[in-house]
Amino acid sequence: MPTYKGLQGQISSNNFKSTLLLIGFPAVIIIAVWAVMFFANGGIWDPYIQRDFLTVLPIVVAAIGVWFVIAFLFHSKMIQFAVKSKPLERKENMRVYNLVENLCMSVGMKMPKIYVMESQALNAFASGMNEKTFAVTLTRGIMEKLDDAELEGVIAHELAHIRNKDVRLLIISIIFVGILGFIVQIAFRSILWGGAGRSRGGKKQDGRLMLIILLVSALAYLLTILFRFALSRKREFMADAGAVEMTKRPDALASALRKISGKSTVDDVSSDDVKSMFIENNPTENGMAASGLSGIFATHPPIEKRIAFLEQV
Amino acid sequence: MNPIWIVLIVVVVIVIWFIAIYNKLVSLKNNRENAFADIDVQLKQRHDLIPQLVATVKGYAKQEESVLTQVTQARNRAMSAGTVNDKIAAEVALSGAMSQFSMQMEAYPDLKSNQNFMQLQNEMSDIENKLAAVRRFFNSTTKELNTAVQKFPSNIIAGMFKFGQEPYFDLGVVQREELDKAPTIEF
Repeated sequence: MPTYKGLQGQISSNNFKSTLLLIGFPAVIIIAVWAVMFFANGGIWDPYIQRDFLTVLPIVVAAIGVWFVIAFLFHSKMIQFAVKSKPLERKENMRVYNLVENLCMSVGMKMPKIYVMESQALNAFASGMNEKTFAVTLTRGIMEKLDDAELEGVIAHELAHIRNKDVRLLIISIIFVGILGFIVQIAFRSILWGGAGRSRGGKKQDGRLMLIILLVSALAYLLTILFRFALSRKREFMADAGAVEMTKRPDALASALRKISGKSTVDDVSSDDVKSMFIENNPTENGMAASGLSGIFATHPPIEKRIAFLEQV
Repeated sequence: MNPIWIVLIVVVVIVIWFIAIYNKLVSLKNNRENAFADIDVQLKQRHDLIPQLVATVKGYAKQEESVLTQVTQARNRAMSAGTVNDKIAAEVALSGAMSQFSMQMEAYPDLKSNQNFMQLQNEMSDIENKLAAVRRFFNSTTKELNTAVQKFPSNIIAGMFKFGQEPYFDLGVVQREELDKAPTIEF
């Protein structure tokens, strides 16, 4: 049974996972490229294929690197664009700004940026990679419908995600899963559109290439599942516990979750990646079919469990 | 292996361990002082606000001269305090004078319609909230230092280099109830 490891334990575990992802992902891609070439060559490793592999390798690595750098530099803008959020100024909403500022002061952390989503739904998320880009985004609805203590609990939950380095791990994994998804899409398209044109090797060759790419994409799919597991849902409990540590008010956070429950769907946001960052994300509420697998793929534990946990504190 | 080498290795390990504990104590002490810098920012703002508040009130509540001078004197003492611990003591006195001041002003409903006064009051309560927040951080760093000073084996090194227990910044007013330990999670 996992127990509360404390903030430091969670931070080092997340740092370790982030590093593992940063090293592991390019390695997996390189192995995948090798596998595709190896099997496309009929399972024979000869000097020709080795030369091809060595010419392709730097291009693949550079492409991943460039993508990662772009995502790293612009992810906050992209998220902001995806959820149509605007920065919140102090003079515009003193109440919310002060809640964030005071919470940060009480734990001696640098204040993240605050963004508002114009939605009546009740939700919030944290994002960012480093001190410059850390941000907390709140919906207009959550700012208006929760009282000070409840909103403080929600903000503390998001700040806990930032302090635990959950957000950084999540963003890194979102970037990598995005790259993977892109590659799989390109692969499928090139089979659909380009396959007929290049019939050099005849039908047999095409069938095999199809199979290989299917195999690799299955592997990629497996990887995304692994990513989901790496970002265990325990982090939501951790963030709730961290929030309580900051505010000393488990009852306020529980009552906030009760209010949020059932009203958390932000219609404008369709991206699953952003949804996984929300304080509450319930797939069945989002209209997804509730299957036996939804437990494994759910990004958040059931809200009742979180409330029950907060009530036993 | 020569026994001299074994002795030497043991000595080196002990020295390294000794240095590590000493450095930890130094950084804990510095953390506490850095946290106080955040408090200082808020205190300075409060000091700046008090004369304005006193000036606004003077016209309304002439007979409350004693409370006003009390606040002003407490402020001056707080501003001239030098060390962190002196400042804490002086600020506690100032907070006491301030809360008495606020209580006395309740008796003057005219003040409530004074926009200037209300705005100053709001600013003051904002500063008080922020002060409460930074004080919590300061107290948590103080607690860390004090625990290290008390606990074995760091208490030996703390004793050798005169690291003592440091006071908390408590105002003695109603505070958030403290949870002694982090909540446990069970799945």
